[in-house]
Amino acid sequence: MSEEKKTPFIRLARRSAMDRRRMWIIRVSSIVFALILGFIPILLTGSNPLEAYGVIIQGSLSRPVYIRQTVKIAIPLLGCALAIAPCFKMKFWNIGAEGQITMGAVAATYFALYWYDRVPHVMLLVIMALTGAAAGGLWALIPAFFKAKWNTNETLFTLMMNYIAIGIVAWLQGGPWEGRKGSQLIPMFNDAARLPDVLGVHCGWIMVLILVVLMHIYMTKTKQGYEIAVIGDSANTARYAGMNVGYIIMRTMFISGAISGFVGFMIVSGANYTLYSGVANGVGFTSITVAWLSQLNSFAMIFISMMLAVLQKGANTLQTRMDVPASISSIITGILLFCMLSCEFFINYRLIFRKRQDTEAAE
Amino acid sequence: MKKLTIVLIALIALCLPVFAGGSSESAAAAEDTNTIKVGLICIGDENDQGYTYNFIRGRDEATQMLAEDGINVEWRTIYNIGEDASCIDANIEAAEEGCQIIINNSYGFEPYMLEVVDDYPEIEFISCTNCASWNDGRANTHNAFANIYEGRYIAGVVAGMKLQQLIDEGQIAPEEAVIGYVGAYSFAEVISGFTSYFLGARSVCPSVTMKVMFVGSWSDATAESDAALALIDEGCIMISQHSDNTTPATAAQSRGAFHTGYNNDMTGIAPDASLIGTRIDWGIYFYEAIKAYAEGREIPQDWCYGMGEGAVVMTPLNEAIAAPGTAEKVAEVEAALADGSLEVFDTSTFTVGGQTLTHAFALDTDGDFTADSEEAVYDGAFHESEFQSAPYFTVQIDGIEWLNSAY
Repeated sequence: MSEEKKTPFIRLARRSAMDRRRMWIIRVSSIVFALILGFIPILLTGSNPLEAYGVIIQGSLSRPVYIRQTVKIAIPLLGCALAIAPCFKMKFWNIGAEGQITMGAVAATYFALYWYDRVPHVMLLVIMALTGAAAGGLWALIPAFFKAKWNTNETLFTLMMNYIAIGIVAWLQGGPWEGRKGSQLIPMFNDAARLPDVLGVHCGWIMVLILVVLMHIYMTKTKQGYEIAVIGDSANTARYAGMNVGYIIMRTMFISGAISGFVGFMIVSGANYTLYSGVANGVGFTSITVAWLSQLNSFAMIFISMMLAVLQKGANTLQTRMDVPASISSIITGILLFCMLSCEFFINYRLIFRKRQDTEAAE
Repeated sequence: MKKLTIVLIALIALCLPVFAGGSSESAAAAEDTNTIKVGLICIGDENDQGYTYNFIRGRDEATQMLAEDGINVEWRTIYNIGEDASCIDANIEAAEEGCQIIINNSYGFEPYMLEVVDDYPEIEFISCTNCASWNDGRANTHNAFANIYEGRYIAGVVAGMKLQQLIDEGQIAPEEAVIGYVGAYSFAEVISGFTSYFLGARSVCPSVTMKVMFVGSWSDATAESDAALALIDEGCIMISQHSDNTTPATAAQSRGAFHTGYNNDMTGIAPDASLIGTRIDWGIYFYEAIKAYAEGREIPQDWCYGMGEGAVVMTPLNEAIAAPGTAEKVAEVEAALADGSLEVFDTSTFTVGGQTLTHAFALDTDGDFTADSEEAVYDGAFHESEFQSAPYFTVQIDGIEWLNSAY
């Protein structure tokens, strides 16, 4: 009994439901708090934080070109967050979106490089999109199969698959798809293999917005979406209810990978116009944060991905204008994410500090 | 809800003056017409103490030279851009920030730069060390390079004299005079560089041979160091490099090998190893290009100067460890290169598969990445950087062993 006498200095307790207003106040103030914390790294570089934030906003939103550039950054983030959402809902920790994007990009690039003069423009883009999605889906299916069959650890498995995909591209870059000998560069795509622009940004933005609606419907209104939610809450319950859990895992991962692969197609065809090993550029990981911060809500993802895009684009201008290293924005983004994620924690739990009467009560 | 609104209003209030202040500032900068705004997009930053550092030096040198002519330059330098789509964004960024000239400093930037140039026809774009400008059909794109192979030839002479000294003193056998070369990629610029270096060394040390290892990156400090160490393990006693960092020099020093550098004087960090270095003086070009722009003249479409014009310079010779008589020999070779009496790629000094080289094309006109026009071999020499500034010597000559060519 003597062991139990000592109450920890801090204890956590789950909160009973908090009213929405207070929840949002905590969320907004956590953002404000993060922005104020962000003063520190900016001050360390010898700049005025307010001016720096001003430049970030200006650099991302003050001109049509900047808005377009910002949207261009947000498109893959949003698309990939949508891809990850069903997996995470199912509590299947797919951190392999990076690789799924890359494989989608590889498949799309093959047709962009070797089929551009064989099929008409729109047809080519459709082929690239479909093969990109298929490649991403199949790449995701591998760890899902092993999970379903032998219950392997999906986190490690999907993570490792990323490096394999990136390695494949590195090989293609220096090997069969290389342009000028020794340059390690795959040639730029022919115009036929490029996504057309709508309002100055490649039309991928329309497609991801459609995806937002589709994903929302899929997750909330369909039987498959319901199955995913049940497995996420309890796989055993799902089994008891007669669901084929392994099949659902594989199906969901295929859909998730296919969307990621489609994002890969949009990146190479709409933004980069070529393929290189860094094609996913961390989107597969950043989008996890987007999905998580949005609490897997498709519509919230639009705002979160835009917010991260604003920070990223703004940071480039910050570097150009004020000679602040662009990595400062990664630090600020990190602080922001940290604060926002931990505020969710404080919404769900409360801290109880040890008091004198607690100790007495225990005795 | 009230608190939330207050917070939001406070946030907006905080942001607004900043917003207004910043924009009035940039408007003021645009009105100042005596200043030319130049963007410089770099693959690294000055911390590499090599490639990008050399550009920064050139930038500062040109700024000073132009100031003396009454031309003010405002630089927008963007560091650490990869050879990927972020280069498109960096070019857009520089253009939108009002740069009138935008300089891309790495070879792999050019294809991405070309994605942007048509949207900004009034801005002049320069791609250093690359070669698309002569037939891309655009008026606002330019290339520039310098005859760095001349500098490498001289660095090779310095290395060769050191090796010959070791042979003469009986410290090594003639066949142990092996050079190890850390190359970035098996790519024309690199091949041209190490071949000229090797020919320089062999002109004073007939028994020398060379091993080349490619690291697959222009700038990867660890890989460059690893390659240098691997070459030393293979018996190389002289290290040289075509990569951006100083780690091959420190690797050579740690193993008691010798070294010659590129882009920067590396004798400071490897005083017992590094003999000499060679670098392009980009200041000469930046000065000329920006001055031309300021005076309303055309920026040269494809600029290429050599040692004679000061565009390629040697870093100070490390007299403490160099072979005796090196300084005199360097001066002699420099003079011979400048007056044209010495050809670096003299076809009587090397063979390819046992044969004398009689034919090689310089330019690729149809975009299939293989040279198909302009005979580069005539008058008993391969004429490098004559038809375009970027090197096009891609021949594998006898005496140089490629340890890997995956990159």
